[in-house]
Amino acid sequence: MLSYKQNPDPSGLHSRRMNRKKDKGFEICINNINFQRKSVIGYVELTIFPTVMNLNRIKLNSKQCRIYRVRVNDLEAPFIYNDPTLEVCHHESKQRNLNYFSSAYTAAVSAVDPDAGNGELSIKVPSELWKQGDEMKVMKVYIEFSLDQPKGGLHFVVPDVDGSMAERAAHVFSFGNQNSTRFWFPCVDSYSELCTWKLEFTVDASMVAVSCGDLVETVYTHDMRKKTFHYMLPIPTAAPNISLAVGPFEILVDPYMHEVTHFCLPQLLPLLKQTMSYLHEIFEFYEEILTCRYPYSCFKTVFVDEAYVQVSSYASMSIFSTNLLHSGMIIDQTPVTRRCLAQALAQQFFGCFISRMSWSDEWVLKGISGYIYGLYLKKTFGVNEYRHWIKEELDKIVEYELKMGGVLLHPTFSGGKEKDNPTPHLHFSIRHPHTLSWEYYKMFQCKAHLVMRLIENRISMEFMLQVFNKLLSLASTASSQKYQSHMWSQMLVSTSGFLKSISNVSGKDIGPLIKQWVDQSGVVKFFGSFAFNRKRNVLELEIRQDYTSSGTQKYVGPIKVTVQELDGSFNHTLQIEENSLKHDIPCHSKSRRNKKKKIPLMNGEEVDMDLSAMDADSPLLWIRIDPDMSILRKVEFEQADFMWQYQLRFERDVVAQEEAISALEIFPTPASRLALTDILEQDQCFYKVRIQACFCLAKIANSMMSTWTGPPAMKSLFTRMFCCKSCPNIVKTNNFINFQSYFLQKTMPVAMALLRDVQNLCPKEVLNFILDLIKYNDNRKNKFSDNYYRAELIDALTNSLTPAISINNEVRTVDNLNTDVRLILEEITRFLNMEKLLPSYRNTITVSCLRAIRMLQKNGHIPSDPSLFKSYAQYGHFVDVRIAALEAVIDYTRGTHFVLTTNFLCLSFSMLGKLGPFSWSGIFFIFQLVCLLQRLGHNTISPNLMLIFSIYREVLHPSYVQKLFSFIIFIKERYSFTILTGKS
Amino acid sequence: MADSVVMGSGSLNSGSRSGSSKTSTSPTDNYQLARRRTLQVVVSSLLTECGFESAEKAAMETLTEMMQSYYRTNMFHYITEVGRCAKATCEHTARSTPTLSDVVITLVEMGFNVDTLPVYAKRSQRMVITAPPITNASVVPKALIAGQKRTHPTYIPSHFPEFPDPHTYIKTPTFREPVSDYQVVREKAASQRRDVERALTRFMAKTGETESLFKDDISAFPLIAAKPSAIPYLSALLPSELELQTLEETDSSEQDDQTDTENNSSNVSQDDQSADKENVVLPPGGVVPTGKANEENMIDNPYLRPVKKPKVRRKK
Repeated sequence: MLSYKQNPDPSGLHSRRMNRKKDKGFEICINNINFQRKSVIGYVELTIFPTVMNLNRIKLNSKQCRIYRVRVNDLEAPFIYNDPTLEVCHHESKQRNLNYFSSAYTAAVSAVDPDAGNGELSIKVPSELWKQGDEMKVMKVYIEFSLDQPKGGLHFVVPDVDGSMAERAAHVFSFGNQNSTRFWFPCVDSYSELCTWKLEFTVDASMVAVSCGDLVETVYTHDMRKKTFHYMLPIPTAAPNISLAVGPFEILVDPYMHEVTHFCLPQLLPLLKQTMSYLHEIFEFYEEILTCRYPYSCFKTVFVDEAYVQVSSYASMSIFSTNLLHSGMIIDQTPVTRRCLAQALAQQFFGCFISRMSWSDEWVLKGISGYIYGLYLKKTFGVNEYRHWIKEELDKIVEYELKMGGVLLHPTFSGGKEKDNPTPHLHFSIRHPHTLSWEYYKMFQCKAHLVMRLIENRISMEFMLQVFNKLLSLASTASSQKYQSHMWSQMLVSTSGFLKSISNVSGKDIGPLIKQWVDQSGVVKFFGSFAFNRKRNVLELEIRQDYTSSGTQKYVGPIKVTVQELDGSFNHTLQIEENSLKHDIPCHSKSRRNKKKKIPLMNGEEVDMDLSAMDADSPLLWIRIDPDMSILRKVEFEQADFMWQYQLRFERDVVAQEEAISALEIFPTPASRLALTDILEQDQCFYKVRIQACFCLAKIANSMMSTWTGPPAMKSLFTRMFCCKSCPNIVKTNNFINFQSYFLQKTMPVAMALLRDVQNLCPKEVLNFILDLIKYNDNRKNKFSDNYYRAELIDALTNSLTPAISINNEVRTVDNLNTDVRLILEEITRFLNMEKLLPSYRNTITVSCLRAIRMLQKNGHIPSDPSLFKSYAQYGHFVDVRIAALEAVIDYTRGTHFVLTTNFLCLSFSMLGKLGPFSWSGIFFIFQLVCLLQRLGHNTISPNLMLIFSIYREVLHPSYVQKLFSFIIFIKERYSFTILTGKS
Repeated sequence: MADSVVMGSGSLNSGSRSGSSKTSTSPTDNYQLARRRTLQVVVSSLLTECGFESAEKAAMETLTEMMQSYYRTNMFHYITEVGRCAKATCEHTARSTPTLSDVVITLVEMGFNVDTLPVYAKRSQRMVITAPPITNASVVPKALIAGQKRTHPTYIPSHFPEFPDPHTYIKTPTFREPVSDYQVVREKAASQRRDVERALTRFMAKTGETESLFKDDISAFPLIAAKPSAIPYLSALLPSELELQTLEETDSSEQDDQTDTENNSSNVSQDDQSADKENVVLPPGGVVPTGKANEENMIDNPYLRPVKKPKVRRKK
């Protein structure tokens, strides 16, 4: 039993919209949760303060709820329920193509948009109350509803074992994409409608109900078999930020902060303790930089199975995937989980406590939370990791925008005309969060925090934090104003408000910056090259731009260029203008002097360099364009290989090192080899740079195949670093206490396996070396688990595979198995079987084995057959395993001649049904299907798309059409698969 | 009683004979067969004395049975009854071995005129029955003597059983020079582990369902079939016992490595921390355990508070 009340709140919010919006306090009460039938019964009660005269119709959001009765001030009220997204296109519609669907879907979503005062549920206020409405008196709307087998909003996890629901670890939790609270109770499902909440949940005595706000009390029901959890959330909160999790959770009160409580599923408590031992530091960090206390009086974390996303934040609580939990022995998962915690906590401040005015202000929230999360990364994982992350994110957004078209942070929709689409290049409308593609939204968030960083570069971090502090303190003042709900709009952030704060605090005009990156989509693409003019001792730099291809924009403004010369490093700020391509930069040093002298670097360090490689006429060591990444750009810069090598060796910035490594890939020379090897050996060097150097070295070695001397690349290095002194063929027993060398030890074999000899085979020496690593791997004395290491050794075996020499399609049998492959297969079989007896953390080894088997199949060493993967893809395996298996199945359908039959379709759909709704399987399944269609020559899905939708309708609830829709777009983006108009 | 006596002696005898007996039957059976055969000879000779020339097998059997039975106590089973009574008489006088006089008394008891016995024994037409062939006294094989047999210490009376052979209770250590070459040790450990793993997985694969990568030869590279579990995250997330064990071992060994000063300082700080950050763990029921109440009272967390009883009927 669960009952949940949104408190009669005194709001009477600003009616800032055109509609006759009234605003409300809310009381919701759900009376029963049935795990067996997966159903929920309850009621909601809203207290409304009309802000307009003659309020006679109230519109609320509700999806998939069955509504029994509606009463307004104790009078029965008639109501109409209409969800236009249930049937987006009419069956008899002649237009059957994606564009038509897209616009129809957008229209359907708009029709129920709460921000426009619309909703699925339309309640007619009884005529007796009209007069009262005119006097703008309080109205109470009471709605009884139930949910049966919800396909969205609430997710039930009920393991199929014996025992009571608590023993079976059955649990239920809310989830959703953006504002999806309407899926589990009728409400005004908008981020901008705030109210206070009273929530009541009656659940089985063995269960715990975790929800937003403070737990006031827990009371048994009269039969003592159930208990009711009463929650109060006095801080005005929007309905989409309300959540619920019910299950037989184990409770852990945070040892450092007693107002923080953690919940996990039975038996996982030791992992929870380990995972959460760190949370207080994140709290301290955010409170310190924001100089603001955590806004809620308590915080709860709940770890659930089959979570929709890894992290989701709601008012005063966060729901995480249970797969983030780890024991103290796991190295790789620890930073990942800590990042997730930090993200969740950042969103508590910006996203939950401070909500957004409208969808087009979303970027501010995502930007700020992403930005302070970045500050946390910098503090915890170091500047190198931070810069590496920024570069990674920048590369991601640049790649996406150049490939797919621009990402617009702050779209303005004038007049609501569909023709004014600000993003005509996209196949979907960005008008609503529900019509977006997931990939686009991911990139949107990525761009948002990068833009925040640009703002920081402009106004300084100090001012930036002051702005955040100001937003927070205004909001917390407003939130304590119980009876002046018009103040509550201070808790909503808008683009204009944010910009105003910035100009107030910093006194700087960031208008151009905002115009460039926020109001406009696209990134900048630079091409740079240079020449040194010896006579004038001037560096002639040419910077060109490509602003015509899709996803690009023209940049005008300053750009920083750093030139490392013999006499030191110098920064120059150039002005990029309309027509100026060439820039002359005077050099400080005369060319090569014979004096031996240390060379000063940017950071003040002075180093000895071997200058023999460089051009004797030029004092230039290397040049960097926009080293601080203060433009969202892609730079293709040309400089000589020795300059890249110097940059790699001596530039201390990890971003520069990484750029140099990727540039060196096209210079397979002994000098590049030496530079990379040196980096690999340097302990002080950032480990991710060294990892990247491994792969680059493998590529270079392959290009230099004919001239390569000595043992295979990295072998002697690995031997020196990780093998026994007395017997170099045997690896030391594992000791992963030094994480950096652990990561290197893991990666080097994987990179080595990419080496190829003249016959394009993996050298025998390397293969045997990897097999020996597996054989002599000994983890008995290690404090940490070696599951990731072993998994990577299998990946190394996978990498070593090359296509089998096949004599006219002979059938693969055991007898004609290549001897090397036989050894590999032997190892994989053993690993995969051992995993059944001693499963590894997150089944990493199974995942690697499945990939390896698929690779063996693909290369024609063993018969290609998807049946093994199908069994691993079933519901009931760990999600990582299922994903790996599904990927293999999809790969199979891509790689073979496959006949699409109706049977296969049916089979696939029934398989999907079994897979369960939540894992990513849906996406992969669609991939599979689309790839199938593509193989069959349907380069356009058109009628087929409708077919997919109609079949899907049987499997999934219509509410999933939206998600599905994004899947299709996602595939289109990923596989550049044309989804165009078909026959009309 | 009689049975037990006979059986008892039988088994004793058979015990001594067992060494030499090479037949497939067990010594006890052997003994009983021999005994029965002798009895049959006796019965036949008595019958001959009485003037019978032949007897049916069944009649013979019945008479033999009457003279002696291992299985039932019956007045007609004469010899058994004699033995049983003699034993009883002897035990009555607190002895364990029947003497001649016991037998005599028994016979008297049974109404047998003992005086006639010598006469009967010396009758002229009596047939002499040859003694059953005695198998050669068994040669007790020499037990391997390992070490000196221990004599009783003074406080154990000499009639107590002797100590068993020393090898049954004395360990005999054998020494071999341990292999100390690092490479060989690692090699051995690695191949041993691999062999164990391979054997184990092969066994598991043979005894359960399997999947195969090859259609033509299912037995090559057998893979244990993947079985979905109801709660897959448990096995995937929780460390296996083996790992936990390793962790404990490495933890303890690490502490050994630490110097004393390090140990002290870290211990102190750990104590401090654990004092105020004792994790509070509750079962999902939310019942506060009574122990350590003080400490937990200080932690005011709503989830730790006891569940209230319903007071008044709350409106629905």
